[in-house]
Amino acid sequence: MTKRKLSDGSHPIVGYLLALLISLVFIGVSILLFSRKSVYIPYIYAFAALFFISKLSETKRNDFLKFCFANRQYRKVRIAENLIIALPFIVLLACKQHFLLTLILFVISIVMALLSYRATYNITIPTPFHKKPFEFTVGFRNSFFMFIIAYGLAIIAIKVNNFNLGIFALGLIFFTTSGYYLKPENEYFVWVYNCTPARFLFEKIKTALLFSFCLCLPVLILLSISYLEHIGVLLVFTFLGLLYLTTWILAKYSAYPEEIGITQGVIFAIGLFPPMLIVIIPLFASQSVNKLKEILK
Amino acid sequence: MINIQNLSKSFGAKQVLKNINIQFNKGQVYGIVGENGAGKTTLFRCIAGLESYEGKITSEINPLKNHLGLLLTEPFFFTKITGKEYIRLLCNVRKKRVSNIDDKNIFDLPLNQYASTYSTGMKKKLALLAVLLQNNQCFVLDEPFNGVDIHSNIIIIGLIHKLKELGKTVIISSHIFSTLRDTCDEIYLLKEGELVRKVFREDFEALELEMREFTVGNKIEKLELE
Repeated sequence: MTKRKLSDGSHPIVGYLLALLISLVFIGVSILLFSRKSVYIPYIYAFAALFFISKLSETKRNDFLKFCFANRQYRKVRIAENLIIALPFIVLLACKQHFLLTLILFVISIVMALLSYRATYNITIPTPFHKKPFEFTVGFRNSFFMFIIAYGLAIIAIKVNNFNLGIFALGLIFFTTSGYYLKPENEYFVWVYNCTPARFLFEKIKTALLFSFCLCLPVLILLSISYLEHIGVLLVFTFLGLLYLTTWILAKYSAYPEEIGITQGVIFAIGLFPPMLIVIIPLFASQSVNKLKEILK
Repeated sequence: MINIQNLSKSFGAKQVLKNINIQFNKGQVYGIVGENGAGKTTLFRCIAGLESYEGKITSEINPLKNHLGLLLTEPFFFTKITGKEYIRLLCNVRKKRVSNIDDKNIFDLPLNQYASTYSTGMKKKLALLAVLLQNNQCFVLDEPFNGVDIHSNIIIIGLIHKLKELGKTVIISSHIFSTLRDTCDEIYLLKEGELVRKVFREDFEALELEMREFTVGNKIEKLELE
């Protein structure tokens, strides 16, 4: 039971509850955003819908569907898929009387159902982290837009004088970089290291902390200039962010080569009460060293 | 240089390597042949230390793992990492600095493109190039010729000769007999996890003929192709 992975899936009822939760969050966020009466909100909604729809147009996925269904059926399936995704946005835009945008979104959703394209272009996204092993190189390329969003939120936080939003932006960066350490890498990329398990962990943590801090720096600078009186809070949050990132990396290798399981998840959750980290970090560290010993003999 | 004594390996109840004894010497090229599932890859993984095993693998280089270039049958690539970054990654972790990677791109690979977009053969060549640039003492190459074009095949054969000249130990597996004939000093035959035969260079031709006879036999006739 404790060896179950988080991705193993759960009872279908959890899925229904999750769908209900997502719907509620969508409605809540929509009400909140439209209450701001910004002219950009409807466009952001239309783009968000198109972004989600574009994820369904990936070539490999469509090739598979084409293989499974006859031509006519395939088109029906694709149109249905796109409209299911677009529907909440379409309904919302129509309710808010943005009829032209509603129509455009509806038409584009159908047109995009009939197109398929490659999701992997031959464009290499530049990354400042290419000199250190792969987590940040790959992670940055997959999620650079999250940092744009975080920096945007930090600017908005200052503009609307909302310090908490700034802290949220900081949290978003740590959350994103922690995601780079979610999945266990292929054992070859651990085996290939010329070092002891402790050194390996030290190098991984050092890189993660350094690069995460670099990514946080613009937000930290902006917030410290604007909220000099809250600099203590800012530093505490940054320190906690770095501490949780360290714990997460150790949790990952304590389960290695398996994915982070329920046991590690529960222990990490206990660590959300920060004093518990004094026990949890050494625990994960010793477990990680033991796991890595098998490969880094 | 690498001495394997009484090596056995089981996965559950299935024994995949049975009491293997081999000695791999410096400056020699060794071929491991056998049917699919004979235990070649498991043997390589045991030598690399990627599998636990019964028996002993010793080497005058200690730890062997840190001086071993391992080419896997199907090298793994991250989705958004370029060929150049892959090479740099594998060399950096072995504390080997490489400069002018473009000049060393003997396989003419598009090194600035994501490696995951490469074809099977290109991936193999990239992984081999990275392993070679690590400047290891021993090389364990699992099917280095698999999926690789003719020109690159010739280059790889040349590279193996060069490694031999430099006094490195090379262990390769291949399903293409001609490549083994062109490169190896000795060939070991694995059958169902057992080392059934050791063949020296002068007997390669006889081995090839024998294998052809045993393997093909009258199997083709059984299809009754018209």
